[in-house]
Amino acid sequence: MPETNTLQKLLLFFTVCFAFLNTAYAQSRFTVSGVVRNAATGETLIGATVKIQSADKRSATTTNAYGFYSLTNTAGTYDMTVSYIGYKTVVQKVNLTSSIKLDINLTEGTELQEVVVRGNQRKDENVRSPQMGLDKIDMKVLNNVPVLLGEKDVLKTIQLLPGVKSGGEGNTGFFVRGGAADQNLILLDEATVYNSAHLLGFFSTFNADAIKDVSLYKGGMPAQYGGRLSSVLDVKMQDGNNKNFGVEGGIGLIASRVKVEGPLVKDRASFMFSFRRTYIDYLLKLSKDSTINSNTLNFYDLNAKVNYKLDDKNTIYLSGYFGKDNIGIKDLFANNWGNTTTTLRLNHIFNNRLFSNTSFIFNKYNYTIELLDEKNNAKVQSYIRDFNLKEDLQYFGDNHTLRFGVQATHHRIAPSDISSTAESSFNSQTIPNRYGLEAAAYISDDWKLTDQLNLLYGLRVSGFSLLGPGTINTYDDNGNKTSSKTYGSGDFVKSYFYPEPRLSLSYTLNPENSIKASYNRNTQNIHILTNANTSSPTDQYVLSSNNIKPEIADQVALGYFKNLSDNKYEFSGEVYYKRLQNQIDYKDGAELIANADVESQLKYGGLGRAYGLELYAKKVRGKLTGWISYTLSKTERKFNGINNGNYYPARQDRTHDLAIVGIYELSKRWTVSGNYIFSTGNAVTYPAGKYNVGGLTTYYYNSRNANRMPYTSRLDLSATLKPKENKRFGSSWTFGVYNALNRHNPYAITFRDKKDDPTQTEAVKVALFGIIPSVTWNFNF
Amino acid sequence: MKRILYNLLFFSIVALVTSCQDVIDLKVNSSDSQIVIEGNITDQPGTQTIKISKSVSYTSSNTYPAVTGAKVVVTDSKGNTLSFVESVPGTYTFGPFKGEPGNTYTLNVNINGNTYTAVSTMPQPVKIDSLGLKEINFGGKGNFYPEVHYQDPANIANYYRYVMYINGVLTKRIYSESDRLTNGKAVTETLFYDTDEDNKKLEKGDKVDVEMQCIDQSVYTYWHTLDAQNQNGPGGGTAPGNPPSNISNKALGYFSAHAVSKASLSVK
Repeated sequence: MPETNTLQKLLLFFTVCFAFLNTAYAQSRFTVSGVVRNAATGETLIGATVKIQSADKRSATTTNAYGFYSLTNTAGTYDMTVSYIGYKTVVQKVNLTSSIKLDINLTEGTELQEVVVRGNQRKDENVRSPQMGLDKIDMKVLNNVPVLLGEKDVLKTIQLLPGVKSGGEGNTGFFVRGGAADQNLILLDEATVYNSAHLLGFFSTFNADAIKDVSLYKGGMPAQYGGRLSSVLDVKMQDGNNKNFGVEGGIGLIASRVKVEGPLVKDRASFMFSFRRTYIDYLLKLSKDSTINSNTLNFYDLNAKVNYKLDDKNTIYLSGYFGKDNIGIKDLFANNWGNTTTTLRLNHIFNNRLFSNTSFIFNKYNYTIELLDEKNNAKVQSYIRDFNLKEDLQYFGDNHTLRFGVQATHHRIAPSDISSTAESSFNSQTIPNRYGLEAAAYISDDWKLTDQLNLLYGLRVSGFSLLGPGTINTYDDNGNKTSSKTYGSGDFVKSYFYPEPRLSLSYTLNPENSIKASYNRNTQNIHILTNANTSSPTDQYVLSSNNIKPEIADQVALGYFKNLSDNKYEFSGEVYYKRLQNQIDYKDGAELIANADVESQLKYGGLGRAYGLELYAKKVRGKLTGWISYTLSKTERKFNGINNGNYYPARQDRTHDLAIVGIYELSKRWTVSGNYIFSTGNAVTYPAGKYNVGGLTTYYYNSRNANRMPYTSRLDLSATLKPKENKRFGSSWTFGVYNALNRHNPYAITFRDKKDDPTQTEAVKVALFGIIPSVTWNFNF
Repeated sequence: MKRILYNLLFFSIVALVTSCQDVIDLKVNSSDSQIVIEGNITDQPGTQTIKISKSVSYTSSNTYPAVTGAKVVVTDSKGNTLSFVESVPGTYTFGPFKGEPGNTYTLNVNINGNTYTAVSTMPQPVKIDSLGLKEINFGGKGNFYPEVHYQDPANIANYYRYVMYINGVLTKRIYSESDRLTNGKAVTETLFYDTDEDNKKLEKGDKVDVEMQCIDQSVYTYWHTLDAQNQNGPGGGTAPGNPPSNISNKALGYFSAHAVSKASLSVK
């Protein structure tokens, strides 16, 4: 492979550059490296802890996103310990007299290390690592957390973590540490998922069956991530079992799922295919009423992945997602939307210390609305499409782990294309496409400075260019066009460059306690214009431009981490302060749909600030597992012309957020679980007065978001029954009750004249869900 | 188009979830009384009316104190001066008088030494060609909604507001539309409303009266902002605020010079 040779030369250069990091040691040093996998399925394990230890020497690391690890130390005999939560720990002797390759297979089950490695200085990753603001979702926990209608959901489960706020009841939209919903970067196998909502937000696009790993970065953003201000949700799909064929699935109240996986070439190649579809519309079809049975209401998801281990050094992965929602009412309208992502990756191990991943990614989000009325017909189509090329490298030094890479993304936004017949009220028109190029280069170093002090520091340089072709207008503060210029294809209209420093450090007080601090800057060049609280299928995307400046966020955080009882309990407390610049809002009465001058409808230069305290206590092992998370926070925005130019609470500003999740293994057959949430109501604007115009009671407001919706309090329960085990066929029943207290939690507050006494006004609380039971049957063979 | 979309999404959501409504007690802010001016100059012959009142606090009853003794003068771009007279407390009238499309009207109100001014230009009239009914069937329930047909003039920006009465009762909904997406077309505008909240469901024998107003851009922005706040789409809609008024000195309300076209029908 000649391309690889060129790349290899380049990387040799890097290796030489970094070699100085290791030359301080005169003794000969050897490396043990390999991949950690699930013994039964061959799935690589992400974030497994690997340690080598002798009487006087030790090294430790965690496996990367592809299960790879590399440890280097002087010659000698070591005890090697490989552990991963929910798996039996493997301990074996390693004789390091030369560099060796050692792949490890872990078996699922109760951990044995309590016996084997007790007394060892086990410094767990969450205490020791300089990374903070990171939460990982254990997929086993996810399967047990009770959710609406029994559809287990990644996005609803992360809302139970500290610092993450729900976008609304039963909704998958979320806000992280005071950020807006569009300031979360949601990745599925590295591809951006622009709209992660199904059915207007009640379900997410992530079918839990197909997912291997979920990591949420709320702060201390590692340099390899960028492009969004407030968080990264990195979701990775399963590779597929490369040892045996397997089928699993489930039948639920609203949707059914099936997953097939198996080896293509044993131990070398595997596939995974997963499908989920709702069937409310099939139920509608049972109705005899033609106004009901011809309506559409469904969504489906398809996840597929294949991987092929070409040789010991090269593995190729191809994964994709395709999902779609359809809502339609006969003769009135039809609306569909969905995401498509494709990721092609090549892992290459240059040597036992240098790991490379090259990714080519395609993703697209599109929606179509059709108005079917003869006189008001129109078909509106819109999409956003990205091509993304990335090269990420990881170098495992002695006390340094370096990550560096480059990436480039080409965006195309087709804001709206309206087609209609001559009889229609609407004109056919197309709003011109917008093009943009995002490019970034980064380098970071995870440096074990001393036994106590770990430093993760790095720099990301982000560039964005708005590209031609197109006619680009400039607007003044009042939205009037001040100039206009036409650009050719590929012309650079406007470019921005921002260095984004990232710094995290941890100081380990003792094996069970550490203090961490972090600072990071993030910028964002793609923005959603929405007037709804959460994502809507018709969200408008705009790129940074001559009018729209990149959004900037700076965040500092300080944390205390503690593990107790041999890591059975994990505790953390973090405080953060975040400052946002160049925020966007839209003007009163803004016309956002199909508007070529949409940038004239916006307010610019908004500021934001958010600060808070997050407490998190977690029990990770035993019959009872679960966590308590509590967030005390404040989130504010400031815009000229809103609230007299003073800071006001953002809608998602909720002072208190509490979540308690408990999962209890009653017996081998029964597992019961429950979660309880309490949160302060959203900040909203209630009328301060009223008057009459046009014969209607009209409300007078004197400050923005100065009021509170009533609080939310909800208890959800579920119980899972596993019938007697059968070697070939396994199944389970999950019974759930959503909102077991049947409390009418507020979704919206509206005001109206009293029906029986129109001289008075009354406030009406709208609640979406009362008590909702569910049952799901899952199977695997 | 947005209205159609929101209405349809609303139908879907209602069908989807078992939403429940409870009347609740809320603690709200109090506010000082604000001046409210509602001024209309139309191209219909007769009495032209400017109403001045005050806002009340949220918890008060819906009766609004009249502002009496104000000096109300409207001048037009042709040099005419219309001195309004207080006929009923808080209601200032002038006429018989007929506004003319193309004229710009300037309102000048003096209340205890405080001056409030506003400017509005009467757009050229657009006639309602016909008024019909649109049947929407959903979930076994058939509802009829009035449908306005008109020809939108090409080459100029037009802004419309509709006022709808059923059996003489005002429909509690704001209808505002611009021709941004319909310029120059034969337009059909369906006047959706909530048959529980806004007005009665249409039945045989009901009489529907629709007034179409051709309004200027700033008046459109006023109504459209109010309209958008009422369209509580999924997730709660726009953060409410006071709509941008074309009247100076922080008065609430609007001053609109508009051309009117009326149509009515009886449901058979």
